[in-house]
Amino acid sequence: MSTVLAVAAASAVVLTGCTSGSDKDEEGAKPSASTQPITITYAYEQEFQAYNPNTADQNASLNAVPLQQVLRGFWYYGPDGSVQPDTEFGTYEKVSDNPLTVKYTFNQKAVWSDGEPIDCDDAVLGWAANNGKYKTGKKDSEGNDIAVFSSAGTVGYEDADKPQCADGEKTFTLVYTKPFADWVALFGGGSMMPAHIVEKESGVPDIIAAVDGDDQAALKKAGEFYNTAWVYKKGELKPEISPSSGTYQLSAWQAGQSLTLKANPKWWGTPPNAETIVIRFIKQDQQAQALQNGEIQAMDPQPNAELLKQLEGIGDSIKVTTGDQFTYEHLDFNLRNNSPFKDRDLREAFTKCLPRQQIVDNLIKPQNPKAQIQNSRYVFTFQSNYKKVADAIVGTKHDALDVEGAKSILESKGKAGMTVRIAYQTPNPRRTSQVDLIRDSCGQAGFKIVDAGSESFFADGLFNGKFDIAMFAWAGSPLVTGSSSTYTTNGGNNFGKYTSPTVDDLISKLNAELNKDKQEELIIQVEKALWEDLATIPVYAFPGILATVSNGENFVYNASQAGLMWNSNKWGLAAK
Amino acid sequence: MIVYIVRRLVVSFFILLGATALVFWLVAISGDPLEDLYADQSPNKEDKIAERTRRMHLDQPIPQRYLTWLAGVAKCVVPGQGCDLGTNQTGQDVKVLLGNAAGATLRLVLVAVVVAIVIGVTVGIVSALRQYSGFDYTITFAAFLFFSLPVFWVAVLLKQYLAIEFNDWLADPRIGPVPMIALGLLSGLTWSAVIGGERRRRLTVFGVACAVTVLLLLYLLAVDWFTYPALGPGLVTVFALGTAVGVTELVSGLHRRGVLHASLAAAGVGIIAQFVLAGVLEDPSWPVVLLLAASTVPIGIGLGMVFGQLDKPQAARAAVLTGLLTGTLVFTDRALSAVHGYSQRVNGRIVATIGSDTPNFTGDFWQRFIDTVTHLALPTLAIMLISFATYARFTRATMLEVMSQDYVRTARAKGLTERTVVMRHAFRNALIPVTTLMAIDFGGVIGGAVITENVFGWEGMGTLFINGLERSDPNPVMGFFVLTATSIVIFNMLADIAYAYLDPRIRMS
Repeated sequence: MSTVLAVAAASAVVLTGCTSGSDKDEEGAKPSASTQPITITYAYEQEFQAYNPNTADQNASLNAVPLQQVLRGFWYYGPDGSVQPDTEFGTYEKVSDNPLTVKYTFNQKAVWSDGEPIDCDDAVLGWAANNGKYKTGKKDSEGNDIAVFSSAGTVGYEDADKPQCADGEKTFTLVYTKPFADWVALFGGGSMMPAHIVEKESGVPDIIAAVDGDDQAALKKAGEFYNTAWVYKKGELKPEISPSSGTYQLSAWQAGQSLTLKANPKWWGTPPNAETIVIRFIKQDQQAQALQNGEIQAMDPQPNAELLKQLEGIGDSIKVTTGDQFTYEHLDFNLRNNSPFKDRDLREAFTKCLPRQQIVDNLIKPQNPKAQIQNSRYVFTFQSNYKKVADAIVGTKHDALDVEGAKSILESKGKAGMTVRIAYQTPNPRRTSQVDLIRDSCGQAGFKIVDAGSESFFADGLFNGKFDIAMFAWAGSPLVTGSSSTYTTNGGNNFGKYTSPTVDDLISKLNAELNKDKQEELIIQVEKALWEDLATIPVYAFPGILATVSNGENFVYNASQAGLMWNSNKWGLAAK
Repeated sequence: MIVYIVRRLVVSFFILLGATALVFWLVAISGDPLEDLYADQSPNKEDKIAERTRRMHLDQPIPQRYLTWLAGVAKCVVPGQGCDLGTNQTGQDVKVLLGNAAGATLRLVLVAVVVAIVIGVTVGIVSALRQYSGFDYTITFAAFLFFSLPVFWVAVLLKQYLAIEFNDWLADPRIGPVPMIALGLLSGLTWSAVIGGERRRRLTVFGVACAVTVLLLLYLLAVDWFTYPALGPGLVTVFALGTAVGVTELVSGLHRRGVLHASLAAAGVGIIAQFVLAGVLEDPSWPVVLLLAASTVPIGIGLGMVFGQLDKPQAARAAVLTGLLTGTLVFTDRALSAVHGYSQRVNGRIVATIGSDTPNFTGDFWQRFIDTVTHLALPTLAIMLISFATYARFTRATMLEVMSQDYVRTARAKGLTERTVVMRHAFRNALIPVTTLMAIDFGGVIGGAVITENVFGWEGMGTLFINGLERSDPNPVMGFFVLTATSIVIFNMLADIAYAYLDPRIRMS
């Protein structure tokens, strides 16, 4: 039997002869006017689903992120999450305060990538689809009317009349029925869908006429198309009904793998720098190695200390930037009648022993060395007006830990040893560590801290007040009206049942205030009241991370949900 | 037999039915599908919750939801009704998702399982024939090591060393003297352990293998082979002729001249064909390649008839096998020649860590093939390592058992050569239990590559399952379950039937 193997072995080992073969690659690099014939690949965890990011279902980052440069509008999210006017797309200005009137002007050259001008009918569709006023007449299981156009947010649009313009006009005027503080935040990127496609595909000859004539049947047909036709089957783009109004257009989608964007030849403004952007759907924990192996050029996953170490260990072939996200962690006291924290003194005692600096130092700084305590609920530490707001509010005095002070309050109240249940959604290791740190500190003051983390926190505990202190995060918003329902009496997001006539009054003023400086002044007053009442304590902004190849150009971290793609039209690669 | 199959099918059907109800119920109670919406701060939160509630029928009790789902699935069985597996939470059709996922998983698993079987069975047999040798111990050690390695960890290591560092190395391929000698020693040890024999012979093999490996590496580095890899017509010819000799030795022994001539002729035809068909091979397509492979069979049989003398069937078999292997050599040569061009297209990062291909890659047949192979390489290896261990250990055990049977001793007593005893009497019988393992393993791997898929960015069955479960979304999970459970049931049945067919004793009882 040995010979059998010997022969096989010999034939494999004895090697003589020559090698040949070489394919010399011929690459004719033809630089065009200013769009480089390069491909930049960005790793993003979630897979794209739909071309219309406005419906209740599809209004998610997984659609909004890739569409940043496909559907542009009158404004976009800047790197600090603020509203930035998109002057290439068009301009808008307030022409009257009473009634609030805003005049929008599309760029004269603005066209959809199929050649159809972007004009009045697109704005009318945007307004009709997002105002929530047209009802199907059907009710859902909870008895609410179902709207003709599914929408993720009707704020603002619902308070405005139909855009005033005639078919084909490049300007339109929006008149509000009541003052709306966030008038700058309507008709942004992604909010205007191609009306001519809706007309053609749904068989409604004229959207403007249908809205003018209040033609319910036609609107219903249009709504059906609007809600469903742009939700793609996985991997199947429909280019003929999905034109672009931005620098890039949807080009290819390989199910489960990648989405490809190509420069839009009909784009009228500054051409994008890279001809092709590929978004690869890669799990967060696999992105670092893909970056190291050159398969992607940029990534901005949720950071953790391990990931930062891993990325820093790769060396100088990549660049790593840490930053804050537009989401902040906070603690809410339960102010219901049966809660011990109904008593402001006890809230103060707890706040005194709350180790905010230690939480930031131990849990956040390893991921973002620049992290600091956040003292505002409206303005983030990385925003330009943070210092002004933070300096103006009294809250900063709670930065200093005062365990002794907490202890003496507790003792004077005869509440030493009182139980505090801190509730949050599990599993969440970071919040569990936060509870441990709080226990160490507040335990010395005489609180008995109970970790009440549970898997049903969001579903049940938070709504039904099953907590002494609730610990979760709010996503930031560039809108001053965004937090209304969180702090007003009986607001939908006011889970601690905080109630203050002063704050209610201030917020209703804020919602109607059109002047930016006065808005800031009101925000400072709301913050002061919230600190005075100690209803909710902000702690820190979530850390964020950006890693790119070292020759990457113009990759700018964006704290908001827009993510890195916000300026993908400027991305480039320097020659090595 | 038919009664048996029908009975199996009926029983399996009810088991599946019960299992679907159980799985549906478990997924439905596994969490709150609305959870992500509770922390939503947008004004239309209520609308979102209402929309999802309507879509997932959350206002109905779980049994009613299950029956709704079951009614949809029932349409898949009745022709002309249009299959309805429901939609996932966000309204995507599960049927489409399942189709995509199954396709990706099959591509991923098929190669891995086939390679694991071939290598595992081969190594298992050698290991059994060299029982208690260094080789056997090494394989046993390796098998247990692979068994116990967690896939996600292996995956990270594979990515680091076989992709990132290997690609780095390829940018400037050099081997220092110490690694070079280490590789030589390793090769020497391996070959001397595999070939075995008495001490002197082992030492000779060790020395030769060691020297050849070092010289070979030096030669490859000298001609910059790692940058411009290829076999070239010279090596293809040498390998093809070597293959002809090897195949003959395995099939009949070299003393059967007819078989040897048929094999050599087949190798010759292959060698000539690579020049004659050069135009076709420039940029072929899969049908062409498969057609060429298929044409090997009649040609091989023909050669067997012409040269076979008294051993026509054996000669035909050897010729077909040699022809196919020669074809593989030619194919490999072409593919290797395309590597350099491919490397230029991907900035020299040949081995990929993630995904099923380079997005939007266009190139000729060979470059696309290399693209697929380099993306398949690491996940295949990860799956293979574990399956390989199973096959190697299992084959070794059955082979040892068979080798101690009376009929093997009888065969030896008849004076048959060791080759005939091993190949004809022992090997075939040892394969019978392995067949069962293959069938079960394949069914299992389809649903069981969850982690591998996840780590290597293949959106397959595992991802479908995990995503569904994470969101407490029963429909995708049920799609996954129905397909994998059915395939496992079917493969199990096929295994039993194959077993009965291969082993007459089973058929009788």
